[in-house]
Amino acid sequence: MEFAWTADQQAYRAHVRDALDELLPDNWGTHYAPQGYGSADQIAFSREFGPKLAERGLLVRHWPAEWGGESADPWEQFILAEEMKWRGEPRGPQYMNVNWLGPTLMKHGTPEQQQEHLGRIASGNVIWCQGYSEPGAGTDLAALQTRAEPKGNGYVVNGQKIWTSYSPFADFCFLLARTGSGRKDISIFLVPMDTPGIEVKPFPGLVGDGHLNEVFFTDVEVPGSARVGEEGKAWDIITYALSFERVGIPRYHVGRKLLDRAIAQLDREGRGNDPIIKARVGRIVAKFEAARLLTYVVVDQRAKGAPPSVDANVSRITASEACTDLTNFLMEYVPDCLADGDAILREFHRGNIAATIAAGTYELQLNMIARGALDLPRGN
Amino acid sequence: MDMELTGEQQLLVDAVETLGTRWQTMPPGHERDYAFYAADLQAALAEGGFLRAGLDMGMLEAGLVALEVSRLPVVTSIGASALVSAALLGDVFSGPVAIITSDWRKPQRLLPVAAYALVLRDDRALLLDMAGVTVEAVSSIYGYPYGRLAVEPDWSSARDLGEGSGALLQQWARVALACESAGAAQSAVRITVDHVKERFAFGRAIGSYQAVQHRLAQCYQISRGMRFLALHAAWSGDPVGADIAATYAQDHVNKLAFDLHQFSGGMGVTCEYQLHFFSYRLRALQAELGGADGAATAVYDRLWKTAA
Ligand SMILES: Cc1cc2nc3c(=O)[nH]c(=O)nc-3n(C[C@H](O)[C@H](O)[C@H](O)COP(=O)(O)OP(=O)(O)OC[C@H]3O[C@@H](n4cnc5c(N)ncnc54)[C@H](O)[C@@H]3O)c2cc1C
Repeated sequence: MEFAWTADQQAYRAHVRDALDELLPDNWGTHYAPQGYGSADQIAFSREFGPKLAERGLLVRHWPAEWGGESADPWEQFILAEEMKWRGEPRGPQYMNVNWLGPTLMKHGTPEQQQEHLGRIASGNVIWCQGYSEPGAGTDLAALQTRAEPKGNGYVVNGQKIWTSYSPFADFCFLLARTGSGRKDISIFLVPMDTPGIEVKPFPGLVGDGHLNEVFFTDVEVPGSARVGEEGKAWDIITYALSFERVGIPRYHVGRKLLDRAIAQLDREGRGNDPIIKARVGRIVAKFEAARLLTYVVVDQRAKGAPPSVDANVSRITASEACTDLTNFLMEYVPDCLADGDAILREFHRGNIAATIAAGTYELQLNMIARGALDLPRGN
Repeated sequence: MDMELTGEQQLLVDAVETLGTRWQTMPPGHERDYAFYAADLQAALAEGGFLRAGLDMGMLEAGLVALEVSRLPVVTSIGASALVSAALLGDVFSGPVAIITSDWRKPQRLLPVAAYALVLRDDRALLLDMAGVTVEAVSSIYGYPYGRLAVEPDWSSARDLGEGSGALLQQWARVALACESAGAAQSAVRITVDHVKERFAFGRAIGSYQAVQHRLAQCYQISRGMRFLALHAAWSGDPVGADIAATYAQDHVNKLAFDLHQFSGGMGVTCEYQLHFFSYRLRALQAELGGADGAATAVYDRLWKTAA
């Protein structure tokens, strides 16, 4: 055990910061960042920003050279992610592409799929969405009903997805569909969103723009070459991808920045020395730091090539709790951020409602810890 | 950054574990005590060089030793010896050390057995030789022996550890309490998890009920958070790290104490079941140095420097 960053890692962080200082426009913080990374504006921005990052070698540095990277280790990947998150994630939804959709294709995709998609992801201007959840299948993902029936050399897909983030702007969907009668007879398909028969219907809601959409699939023809892995064997692949998604976003890293903003405001109001605020904020910092170290446990395992473990679930719930504590603090002590106050704080609050739900609910994580870490018996 | 133990650290931890085997249960005649100070374990730790881990290997290793020793139901002055003395004095005593950070008239943890006390007075640390100092034992249900100074000591006879030593004492006392809490929490969770696997209600292991599983999963999460924050604070030697580790540890004791006793049911209040050695020790540590509020306030003041 050794907690120090190496000189190279420190230099890399400084390099990323410098690049962001240089590349982000002056109105990034005032115009784009407050809108959230599912918004039309940020997505459009990310399509221009991604190629600039790619040009500097800052988009897929953790990928192997074969696919445009430099095989940087997961620590560098996380340093990059932390710095991006700190600025409000200017990569937009592309964080998914580079962090787990691309790597999943490297591991499980066919050479043709890799050829078609990895280069595009690495060039930084393609948007993906993830078509997993359905009206009747959220936590119980294996209950999904969308079906891919074999037809000729391919499949015909019928069904409905919901909460499909970024789908109105997406070029491709990482789609889960049932291909057999068994509960886990599920396959993954890489589907262009302009395929006839796909209809996206955004609906209004409480979280930031771009997240709440229904996606309807009506007789959508998908070639067999779009299937990832063997037919009906997607479950392990999806578990792999989800384990990356769970600790894919370094949310622990934004806490301090948001507290800086909140405390600056409290100072202006003459409340920065309130002992109750101090005691409350110190606790939130401690929870964020716990989340940070518990996440580093996972990053370390990845760096050593270990398989996904229950530590990802522990990291996830700790980060979720820290963000929730922070939200609660903001509501009580900086309530005007919900109205005409700090737009960044408001956006954090809006986004955070979903942070304990998306990518597997808080309770699902607890189930997995009870089983994976404590070896507690199943219900019946 | 490496979050796993190195080979050398693993050997150290294994050695402490092996040494501790004899003290995994209360010695005969002490099963009904709330706390048992194991003088022979303290001596064995000194003898084996474990108290010197911070000096010989590094403060992270001292933290590992403190955490491992704190997984045992018996008590030593491991935190005060291996971490606080090592950091403040650059040396360790083989005998037990008490840390006095509150008013000297109050009951103090480990005072009845202490050979030395590190005392926080104003903003300086004093080293008080306890030989010749009269201590009244205090009856307590906390998981450590407690005592009180019978009369105010002659502070001028104590060794003044100099400018800045008070802050250093507070810092390392927080690291020590965080490491000891992390070890105690780990054992407390393990005991309870074992119990709910074996105890049945309505034809099922209690641990198969999701209401129980979820809260125990959170307790496990807490013990993991405590562990890494405490070790990080020991490693970094950064005062804010110490405050953060203490905040997190002290802030989560209420949850551990409630949930773990709750799921231990009536067994949890019997002397043959070991939970109380750990839960009452956690309670004792929770109250030190201003508790979670005190540590959290220190975090805030250090990070935002708005202290009045
Ligand atoms: C903002 C946002 C963005 C999203 N983006 C996407 C996306 O891009 N693609 C996608 O596919 N999905 C997306 N989702 C969907 C998300 O994955 C699901 O919402 C999530 O998996 C939970 O499913 P659900 O909403 O159906 O909740 P439910 O499954 O209905 O759960 C409701 C409650 O019951 C609890 N519960 C359920 N089962 C159990 C159990 N066995 N034990 C204990 N408690 C249980 C849950 O924890 C939760 O508290 C998104 C969701 C949100 C909110």
